[in-house]
Amino acid sequence: MSLPRDLEALLLLVRWDLMRMWRRKIFVVMRVVWFAVQVTVFGLALSAMVRFRGVIAQGIDYYHFYLLGVYTSMLFSISVSNAYEVAEEFEEGIIEYHLSLPIKRSVLTVGRSIGGGLAAFLFTLPMYAMVLALMGGGPPLAVVASLGAALVFSVGVVGLVLSIVLSVKSGDATDILFGLIDAIIIRLSTVFYPSVVLARYAPYYYAALANPISHFVDFARTLFFFEEYRALALADPLLMISYLLGFAAGLVSAAIYVVERKLEGGGWR
Amino acid sequence: MEVMESARAALLFAYRDLLRFWKFKHWLASQIVMNLADVVIFAFVFNNIVNRQYIPDYVKFMATGVLAASIFASSFSIGREVGAEIRREVSHYLLALPAPRYALIAGRVLGGTLRGLVYQLAFIALNVALVGVPNPSQALAIAYTSLLLSAAMSALAIAISTSTRDFNLQATFRALTYYTLFFFSSVFYPKEVLALRFPQPIAEAVVHTPVSLAAEVYRWGFGYSSSVSPTALLEITAWAVALLAAASLLYARNVSGK
Repeated sequence: MSLPRDLEALLLLVRWDLMRMWRRKIFVVMRVVWFAVQVTVFGLALSAMVRFRGVIAQGIDYYHFYLLGVYTSMLFSISVSNAYEVAEEFEEGIIEYHLSLPIKRSVLTVGRSIGGGLAAFLFTLPMYAMVLALMGGGPPLAVVASLGAALVFSVGVVGLVLSIVLSVKSGDATDILFGLIDAIIIRLSTVFYPSVVLARYAPYYYAALANPISHFVDFARTLFFFEEYRALALADPLLMISYLLGFAAGLVSAAIYVVERKLEGGGWR
Repeated sequence: MEVMESARAALLFAYRDLLRFWKFKHWLASQIVMNLADVVIFAFVFNNIVNRQYIPDYVKFMATGVLAASIFASSFSIGREVGAEIRREVSHYLLALPAPRYALIAGRVLGGTLRGLVYQLAFIALNVALVGVPNPSQALAIAYTSLLLSAAMSALAIAISTSTRDFNLQATFRALTYYTLFFFSSVFYPKEVLALRFPQPIAEAVVHTPVSLAAEVYRWGFGYSSSVSPTALLEITAWAVALLAAASLLYARNVSGK
């Protein structure tokens, strides 16, 4: 197949995922409502009881720290929820239908990863706007760069989701694995606490260091509040964005490997 | 005689629900890990940045709060199933059984209550290890609170999950209920902190919600705090009766499609 045909197929697959999200408008609205409750009730109360001590510089606004953290956790959870959609597609035979289409497996995987990532990214845009408004805006460059990083991050998470769901081929295993991933990975990251606090517990700290969530959220914080967070961030901003790009490219490649080598022949449990 | 038969039918429904609890062991495992992660990761790390003036030990504070959250997670598992029954129309089969409707409702709520209590056992042990051992009167208060909270949450979960046939909407309603009940409670933060951020009437009202009241009883019961409101158990009873009555009526309406 030629490159134009591959690109056309890619666009069709991206559209498939976007249409699927569009059909869930009420779901989006309700998620936005509970996000509003989360940032206005839970976030405000949590920030009232935080007092940074010791090595952490004074004058850091925990509420701003929390806002970008909770947006990241929402983007991660929405991207992870693709796992349940893919599991449902497997049960309904849609995955087999996709495999039967005259589309290269690699194009199919890249299309689904970008489509799922883009859908999750668009889904969380109202939350991003809310966070931006509560932070009192931000430099346009920071907004553009953080949105770009958010898209890369969600494509990587969907790549991870596709690799796992299509490898384990089990509804139960998907349910437990992603329940665990969602619960543990967010807590073992810098979403709620800075890395210097996590550094008091070596296993937690090294887990956070390897965690793409920490890299995305700290990158976004550094973009918006460079002076306050540069000493607290997990790493240099260039290193963090490189890590995110590597994460997305690596996980989408892993998904391509799984779809090309392991998917054929059914075996869904 | 008829009453005895209805009671037997209700017990059978509850027994069936209790047996089916183990069918969802994968889902249960992920719920337990989530509740545990709140204590052994989140509270442990967050303890280092909490203002000690409000919370001297956030690990102990959260461990007792998670007891209330664990009741919610397990009691809501019955909601998931009853919701699925409505979607798959298994509810028609249940309505056709030779048992009065009130026995069906009572049985389902009882099943959910028992699930909540079984699930909570692990977290009771965690609190004994982390916070303290309750004396007999405190243990009685903890058991009474857990029983009522579990019954109220099960009834609420059943009513909410049967209010729509859409799976995504059911999950969203459940999450909204969780956020409303737990964010407007003293599970994650004490009332002094709420008073700092919100108008006095709201901060005052939050103290009297069922989840806040249960968390306060647990904190006193395990020895984290030295006192508890003398009306706490009375208020929990009133909440449980009101929620049970409203939710049972709603479930009766939803299950018969009226």
